[in-house]
Amino acid sequence: MSDTFVTASPHWTWFIIPYFFVGGIAGGAYFLAAVLEWFGRPEDRPVIRTGYSLAFWGAVLSGLLLTLDLGRSLRFLNMLFQSDNFPHLMFKSFSPISFGAWALLLFGACAFVSWYAETGGTPAKLIAAVGGLLGFFVAGYTGVLLSVTNRPIWADSPWLGALFLASGASTGAAAIALFAPGRGATERSLRWVTTFDARALIVELLLLIVFLVSLGTVAKAWLSVWGLLLIVGVVGAGILWPLRLHLKPAGAGALRNPAVMVLLGGFLLRCVVLLASNSIEYHRVASVVAR
Amino acid sequence: MGSNMAECHPVAFRWPMKAKLNGAKLIHVDPRFTRTSAVADLHVPIRAGSDIAFLGGLINYVVNSRRWNTDPFFKEFVVNYTNAATIINKDFKDTEELEGVFSGLGSFSEPPGWPYNGFQGRYDTASWQYERDPKPPGPKTEDLIARRAGPPFDDLVRSLKPGPAHRDPTLQNPRCVFQILKRHFSRYTPEMVEQVCGSPKDKFIQVAEALLANSGRDRTSAFAYAVAWTQHTYGVQMISCCALLQLLLGNVGRPGAGVMALRGHAAIQGSTDVPTLYHSIHGYMNAPSALRPHESLRAYMAAETTPTSYYGNTPKFLVSYLKSMYGAAATADNDFGYDWHPKILGDHSHIATFAAMAEGKVKGMCCVGQNPATSLNGSATRLALRQLDWLVVKDNWLTETATYWYQAPEVKDGRVHSGDIKTEIFFFPSTQIAEYDGSFTNTQRMLQWHSKAVDAPGDCRTDTWFYHNLAKRTKKAYAGSTAPRDQGWNNLLWDFDPDPGVKPIYPGEPDALKILREINGYMTADPHQHLPGFAALKDDGSTTCASWIYCGCYPAPDQNMSARREPDPPGVPGAHLKWGWAWPANRRVMYNRASADPRGNPWSERKRWVWWDPTFVNPPDPKTGIAPPRGKWVGYDVPDFAVTKAPDAKPKPDGIALDALSGTDAFIMRGDGRGWLFVPTGLLDGPLPTHYEPHESPVQNMLYPKHQMSPVHKVWSAGKPWNPLASVGDPKYPHVITTYRLTEMYLAGAMSRWLPWLAELQPELFIEMGKALAAEKGIRNLDWVIISSPRGHIRAKALVTDRIGVMQIAGKAIHHVGMPWHWGWAGLSTGDVVNDLTAWVGDPNVSIHEGKAFVCNVEKA
Amino acid sequence: MPEAMGFFTDTTICIGCKACEVACKNWNQLPATNGGVSELSGDSYDNTRKLDGTHWRHVKFIEQFEGPYNGRWLMMSDVIDMNPAAGTAQKCTLCYDRMQVGLEPACAKACPTDSIQFGPIAELRTRAQKRVDQLKAQGEKRARLYGDDPNGPLGGLNSFYLLVDEPEVYGLPRDPKLPSRNLKSSGVLSAATGAVLGLVALVGLRKRRMDEIGGGGERGSEN
Repeated sequence: MSDTFVTASPHWTWFIIPYFFVGGIAGGAYFLAAVLEWFGRPEDRPVIRTGYSLAFWGAVLSGLLLTLDLGRSLRFLNMLFQSDNFPHLMFKSFSPISFGAWALLLFGACAFVSWYAETGGTPAKLIAAVGGLLGFFVAGYTGVLLSVTNRPIWADSPWLGALFLASGASTGAAAIALFAPGRGATERSLRWVTTFDARALIVELLLLIVFLVSLGTVAKAWLSVWGLLLIVGVVGAGILWPLRLHLKPAGAGALRNPAVMVLLGGFLLRCVVLLASNSIEYHRVASVVAR
Repeated sequence: MGSNMAECHPVAFRWPMKAKLNGAKLIHVDPRFTRTSAVADLHVPIRAGSDIAFLGGLINYVVNSRRWNTDPFFKEFVVNYTNAATIINKDFKDTEELEGVFSGLGSFSEPPGWPYNGFQGRYDTASWQYERDPKPPGPKTEDLIARRAGPPFDDLVRSLKPGPAHRDPTLQNPRCVFQILKRHFSRYTPEMVEQVCGSPKDKFIQVAEALLANSGRDRTSAFAYAVAWTQHTYGVQMISCCALLQLLLGNVGRPGAGVMALRGHAAIQGSTDVPTLYHSIHGYMNAPSALRPHESLRAYMAAETTPTSYYGNTPKFLVSYLKSMYGAAATADNDFGYDWHPKILGDHSHIATFAAMAEGKVKGMCCVGQNPATSLNGSATRLALRQLDWLVVKDNWLTETATYWYQAPEVKDGRVHSGDIKTEIFFFPSTQIAEYDGSFTNTQRMLQWHSKAVDAPGDCRTDTWFYHNLAKRTKKAYAGSTAPRDQGWNNLLWDFDPDPGVKPIYPGEPDALKILREINGYMTADPHQHLPGFAALKDDGSTTCASWIYCGCYPAPDQNMSARREPDPPGVPGAHLKWGWAWPANRRVMYNRASADPRGNPWSERKRWVWWDPTFVNPPDPKTGIAPPRGKWVGYDVPDFAVTKAPDAKPKPDGIALDALSGTDAFIMRGDGRGWLFVPTGLLDGPLPTHYEPHESPVQNMLYPKHQMSPVHKVWSAGKPWNPLASVGDPKYPHVITTYRLTEMYLAGAMSRWLPWLAELQPELFIEMGKALAAEKGIRNLDWVIISSPRGHIRAKALVTDRIGVMQIAGKAIHHVGMPWHWGWAGLSTGDVVNDLTAWVGDPNVSIHEGKAFVCNVEKA
Repeated sequence: MPEAMGFFTDTTICIGCKACEVACKNWNQLPATNGGVSELSGDSYDNTRKLDGTHWRHVKFIEQFEGPYNGRWLMMSDVIDMNPAAGTAQKCTLCYDRMQVGLEPACAKACPTDSIQFGPIAELRTRAQKRVDQLKAQGEKRARLYGDDPNGPLGGLNSFYLLVDEPEVYGLPRDPKLPSRNLKSSGVLSAATGAVLGLVALVGLRKRRMDEIGGGGERGSEN
């Protein structure tokens, strides 16, 4: 049995799941917008704008959710500055919580500038370059954060960061695909986004398989309702079904909209990964072992 | 045995764990597998209440063992230090001859003045006495009483001396104690133990062999027990059975030996010493009684003085006590106020008082730190409380006793209406231990002073404040009365107010050190001259001392010995004589003369404790100027012996008290200076322990089929509707139930169920049962179950475990269940009152109830 | 520099009394869950249920009926966790405030059997090794120290234990590792995934342009 089974689960409230989800969307969306900022065409501007909007509001929402989870809002400052030694910065290179907080802050700043500035040009490109990298970072670090614990599932594989990043990219693309049409995006712009989304889903599916395989014997921890949800919700409804819809569009309706299904799958992925591990209670496991 | 020490006395269990680190072997004999069992080397299951059969089995095994019969240590110890060789009266008949009872059994009829004693029978102990030479000639006791001789009262004491008892040091005489006890226990074989106790034979033999291997010159074994040995209709006999075994093994009066009582409450030892007991005045002197020949001071002395032991000094203790009660008013002319002293009418113990209360014979009651509403036979107890005119509850919280009139189960379910209860109830909020000065006396008889650490919240007051002011007001109320019965109050000396200039810790609070001085004693002429020890007590009124056994704890105004905290350094045997103060005379091991052989040498180097140093030069006596001859008892402890009496000293022919004992008579509180294997006086239910079944038992007494239970035990309110009892093997109540305590909870819960940190650790009442019973009844872990006894029924959650279970007793499968009894309806952690199941039956000697073994039924709720 | 201080817990003399737990709460004024009332756990006499921000040092009794040391204890100290009263993540401070005035931590002070000992680590290690040797001499061959090895994976813990069974039986990891062990591999794999996805995005753009060229459409304005 993995040693991760004899640790206590963290006291996270439900805020953390939407944070992981929204943070992924924001990061993925900004990255795609940044790619178009550099390599796109003027007609891609509505998609870029949608990406920046999603990134900015996503960063704001993420910050809010994180702060809510802390319990007291001003504690967010403690993540950035040494409370006893203000204004010395609080930065621990070994802690994803610490560098993640900084990354989220800087990402938010980039997203704000990109969203607020409205125009392209070289300064926007430079910001977009930094923000795009930070965006992927924000999308991926949440997975790394989970891996850098001693909890079952999370700490038993190094692939979780990669999986979350891929999911961030796919949900970011899906969110753009969902909102950009209302902002005047052209068919061609959108097609690039949806094509990217389909490929990101394939990457995500491959990573998910690698992740599950890499868990080894710990994979049996999925023998629960969360495992079922992973197969049906994440893989079935969130990856395979939208992939099929990409190949063969099925008409109107939320369930027939690949973007909606991808977003749903991304959300469920965060849910099952968190809850499958959290539901393994240290004292129960230990009692069973002791007997 | 009889204790779950790890869980119920965790602080004291420090020492068994230290012993374990030193390689000691721990054995736990208990119906339950507890945390004590878990850290023990061996756990032996036993049916609750069958301990005498187990201990008797050990005795039988020991006296027939090869080791006991070949190692000369055992015979030497037993012949010299116990009454094994003493010859018993030829009229004596053992239980083996009378099929379960001793000679002298008669019937008991209740005295009309107080018909609440509950005895089922009564022994005349004349036939249990030693066979003796005729009494030496001299003045007759009756004449000395009538002549009002003394003080000093030496003549009176001398007149009580009996003739010498007959002995056979070869232990061959069939009427000697050793032969009697050997016959008495001859049927307590390992096979019988297995049948009666349910203890596997091989484990029983392991225990016996371990005890034999760990007793002798070089090694000692100790027993620790708690209330699981006392709460029986034969609890005193269980303990004396253990004492008997320990005497046979040479495990008394030596370091690492003995029978340790783990008291049920941190200061309960103090409460029996000082005491709050009805039947004794201070220092274990019997309370003057209307039922005994206590008509006058001299009559009391004649009845209560053992002339040939340290108790030969009883007149000194008693007169000093009376001086403490009545001060200057107590003079030799008025017998030191003896006639003002109240006399008891019979059994005024807890249950007897409630039995009387239930019949409306008690007007009012003060409950100070006591919670009887959750106590024995709870519904009967609450019925009794409802008959009171007034009730005072002084506690930290509104306990069940303060709230029974509107929250008790019988009020909640409508059987009783609050409006019909006429009792007026007063509640006094109480301080807690850290909020005042005072002392604890622990189970080692050690006083430890504690100082106030914090102020009490609100208007909480101490118990001393309550009684101090109650006494002052009562005295005021009686002032001016000329009625003879009120003169006790009028002459009562009550001087505990702080001296002028000394600020009391709370307004109106007495000075705790003045109370300690009263207990310690002082020269009557000068209260500032404290007494150094009980050897200084006089019977002429010149000394004042409330409690002779505590004399010496406060020998000078600036020397409160109980406040000392100086441990022995590491590496010495560790009597820790400078830590606190232990009565008597700061001795840590009682009867420690027995730690040396009859010649005064240590039994072994390893077990050296107190020994005779023949070369010691004694200083001259300050009064006579004559130095005693060379030689003194020395050692790590304070010797429990006349310090300059040589091992070869002979008793003085005319001597009283210690002078009547020889240099080998180690047991100086006994009239013959010996540890009693056979108890001729003092016990009401037999000179030797005998296996009886609990009053309520699912099985027949296998050893004595004609006498199921103790023939003299107590049943209060017998035949009354509020104390119904189950018959033997009643099919309605097939299971054995025992009650117990948990680490996290304390007694009736007033000090623990209200504390969030403790309440969360034991949030609910439960019943612990074995898997077999649970399966039989379809009960799963945490299911609600209903537990019933003839007195009532309660609800609790099931805790199904492997730790308690089924036993094969007399060919019957007997299920055991256990319940912690801390709960009630008040507080944070609440639950049903387990004592609603217990009965008003108890021990004849000490009136304690039988709460550790009775019967019940269990059903899924 | 002052000597490193820490705990040595000898489980063979632990009696599961939880005095340590109550002392910790008392000294650090940690709250009782639900104001002290909860439900029976049904698990032995142990109602602590789980380690959280208010149960830092916890001992649990588990029955085992064979062998001389037949109680088993689960224990854990130094759990970083939320204290619901303060709303902050907190961990055992070794009662830093008590140490400042020369007192040992509340749990060690309260432990009636000295199962929890507090002192200089080096001294505790010597004492612990002696006890292991003694137990082995008494025939308890499974006696071992856990977490004391300065050359071990964690460099020797400042809180170590004497066990007489496998670590898992006590709820301790057999082979404890620091959580940061995963940081590097996770980071690298995430970065690689990021690069792959970036490539996918660029390839998509390129394909769009190629399709347009191939399809004779407008020339793209990508630069």
